[in-house]
Amino acid sequence: MADKEKRRSGVTPPGMPEGRAAKLDSDREFLSSAGVGELLRGAILKMVEARSDDPVGFLADHFCNLASVTETGAAGCGDGDAHGNGPLSASASAQEAQQHLNRALWHLRLAHHSQRSAFSNNVRVAYDLLNLTGACRQPPEGPEGPEGSCTEGPTPEGGGGGVKGGLYTQTLQCLCSEGGVPASTSAPLLQRLHCQDHEAVPYDVFRHGVLTCAVFSDYIRQAQRLYAEVCCPDEGPASRALCLAVLGTLKEALETSQGCDANCCLNANAKANHCLEAGVKAIRYLEASAKISPCKLAQAMSGAQTRGPGGHMDAKEFENAAAELFITRVKVVS
Amino acid sequence: MNRLSSSVPVDEYLADSSVLVYLSDAVTQLLEHKEEYTQFGVVRYFAEYFSSVKNSNHVLFREYSYIRATLHNRASFIRVFWRCYRQIGKSGDMLSMLEYRSLLQLLCPDFPVEVVQSAARIVLMDDAIDCLMSFPDFLYAFQLQFYYQEFLDSVLAIYQDLLAGKSPNTVIVPTSTSIELLHSVTAEENEKAGQQQDGVESSTLAECVEALCDRFKHCHPSRSCMKEVFNQTEKVCYFSFLMSLAKHETINETIGALPSKAELLIDQEMDQELDKLIAQISVSPGSNSSGSAVGGLKEAQRKASPRRNIHHRRKVESDGSTEETDSSEN
Repeated sequence: MADKEKRRSGVTPPGMPEGRAAKLDSDREFLSSAGVGELLRGAILKMVEARSDDPVGFLADHFCNLASVTETGAAGCGDGDAHGNGPLSASASAQEAQQHLNRALWHLRLAHHSQRSAFSNNVRVAYDLLNLTGACRQPPEGPEGPEGSCTEGPTPEGGGGGVKGGLYTQTLQCLCSEGGVPASTSAPLLQRLHCQDHEAVPYDVFRHGVLTCAVFSDYIRQAQRLYAEVCCPDEGPASRALCLAVLGTLKEALETSQGCDANCCLNANAKANHCLEAGVKAIRYLEASAKISPCKLAQAMSGAQTRGPGGHMDAKEFENAAAELFITRVKVVS
Repeated sequence: MNRLSSSVPVDEYLADSSVLVYLSDAVTQLLEHKEEYTQFGVVRYFAEYFSSVKNSNHVLFREYSYIRATLHNRASFIRVFWRCYRQIGKSGDMLSMLEYRSLLQLLCPDFPVEVVQSAARIVLMDDAIDCLMSFPDFLYAFQLQFYYQEFLDSVLAIYQDLLAGKSPNTVIVPTSTSIELLHSVTAEENEKAGQQQDGVESSTLAECVEALCDRFKHCHPSRSCMKEVFNQTEKVCYFSFLMSLAKHETINETIGALPSKAELLIDQEMDQELDKLIAQISVSPGSNSSGSAVGGLKEAQRKASPRRNIHHRRKVESDGSTEETDSSEN
C-alpha cells in the first residue's frame, strides 16, 4: 500500500503539464538515477512502522538525520584520508562518539515501546551503533583499522564485545530526560540499572535498561496526570489524604501485577512456551487494572476525604512517591 | 505517540495525515527545479522540504491550490499573512476588500477574489462591500473563512434553504467546486437581501449544523463554540453567526495560527523579522517610486514596502475621486 502510494506520487505528480511523454520519461529516469524511489520507500516504511502522530515532523527528522549521516559520513572519510597516518585526535573521536549517541537516541525515539517489533529493531540498531563507538574508542585495538570501519558506516562485525557501561548510562539518562522525567526522579532508577563505566554491557541488559526507562517515562507522565486529576489547580496543592488514597490504590494494583514487569523483560529473549504462565499473567493484569479502575479510585478517595491525615501534598512529592512504587519493582542489574 | 495507533490500518493512517500531499508535492517541486535542488543532494532537499513544512514557512509565494491543500497549509498561510502585514494593524489603517486581495496576491499570486469577498462579507455583514475594514477585523474573518471554507459554504447553503423555507435535508455538500458554487450562491443571495435581515431560527440552524459536523470529520469549528453562539439569540443571520465565530477566542486557539486579539500587534521579535521579510518582498520594482510621489502627503515613517505602495495609491485616489474607481482599478 505504502509502496503503491509512493510510486503514484513519485512517477506522475499531480499538477504536471499533461501529455508530455518525453518529459515524463526523463523525469522517471531522473528519479530512478537519483534514488528517490528507494529513499521515499524507506522513509514511508519507517513512518508507517512508527505511526507517529506528527508524520511531517517525523519525515523532517528522518531526512535531516539521513542527510547529516551521509554528509558527516563523507566528511569522515575525507578526514580519515587526511589523517591516515596518525590516530584521530581525542576531540574528533569524542565528537564521533557524541554523533553515534545522537543517532542511537534518534533510533530509540522512532517507535513507542508498545510497538514491540519496531521498538526491538530500533533498540538493536542503537545497540550496534553504540557498540561501534566502543570499538573505536578502545585504544588497544590499534587506531587505524577500526577507525576506517566506523567512518564507513555500520559494520556488523565491528563490535567491541558490548556497549561500554558509561555510554549505556548516558543513553538511559538521555532517554529519561527526553521523556520529561526530572533528573532527581530518575536518579534512583538509574542507580538500579547502573553498570560500571568500564563494563561491556550485553544486549539483553541494554534492552532491559532502555525498555525500563521508556516505560518509566510513560509511567511518570501518567502519575503527573493522575496528580493533576486529584488536585484542583485553583485550590493549591491537593490534600494529603486524597493523594495517599490514590497512591495506595496504585500500589495495590502494582502488587497484583507484581513480577510481570520483571518477567516480561527477562523472558523477552528466551521465548519459552510459558502458555500457562502467560495466562496467569493476563489474569493478573486484568485484576490489577480493575483495582486501579475509576470506581475503585473514587471509593478510596471518598473514604479518604472523611478520615485520614490533614495537610497537603505537592506535585513533586506525589511524583516521587509514585516513582518509588515503580522503582522498588525494578531488579538491580548485576 | 498514540499507543493504540497500531490498530489503525496503514492506508487509513496515511489518508488521515496529509503526508501524501507533501510527499507528492516534494517530488513535483524536485522535478520542476532539478538542477537547483539537486546540487546539495536529494536527501538534503527532502530534509529541507519537510523541515520547512514542519516550521510552517513553506507556503510563501506558492500557488493557491497548494495553500489550501491541507489544514496545516491554511493555518501556515494565515500566519504568514498576519506576520507580513501586521504593520497595517499597528498603524490603524483601514483598507478595502480589493486592497486586501492585492495584499494576499503578493503572497499567493493566484489567490481568488471570492474568498476575500466572503471574508469581507463577514466583517461588513454582507452590505456595503466597498467599505473599509480594520486589519484585525479582516484578519480574524479571513481566518475563519479560509480555514473552514468548505464547511461554511455548506452552512450557507443550508441557511439559504432555511430562508427559502425549503427542507435543508436536500442540501448537497459542496466539495472541491465550492468556489463556483459560492459564486452562484452570492448572486442569488443579493436578490433576497431584504429577507436576510431577519435570519432564521437559531435552534433549527443549530440542528442542521450539528448534523453537518458529522459529515465534516474535523474540518469544522468546535461544536460547543457554535452551540454557544446559537444560544445567544433566538434568530440568527448567517453573517452575524460567522462574525461571532470569527471573534471566538477558542476557535482562534484551535486553529492555532494567530495570537489572541489583545496580543495581535505586540511582538518585538516579530518587528525585526518583519523588516527582514519586507526587505525580501520590496525587491519588486516600483515600490519606491510611488512612495516618493506622495511623500508630502504622509509623514515619512515606514520603510518602503509593497503594502505602502498600495496604501498610498488609495490615499491619492481617494483624494481626487471616489472609492469605486479605486476598486475597479484594482
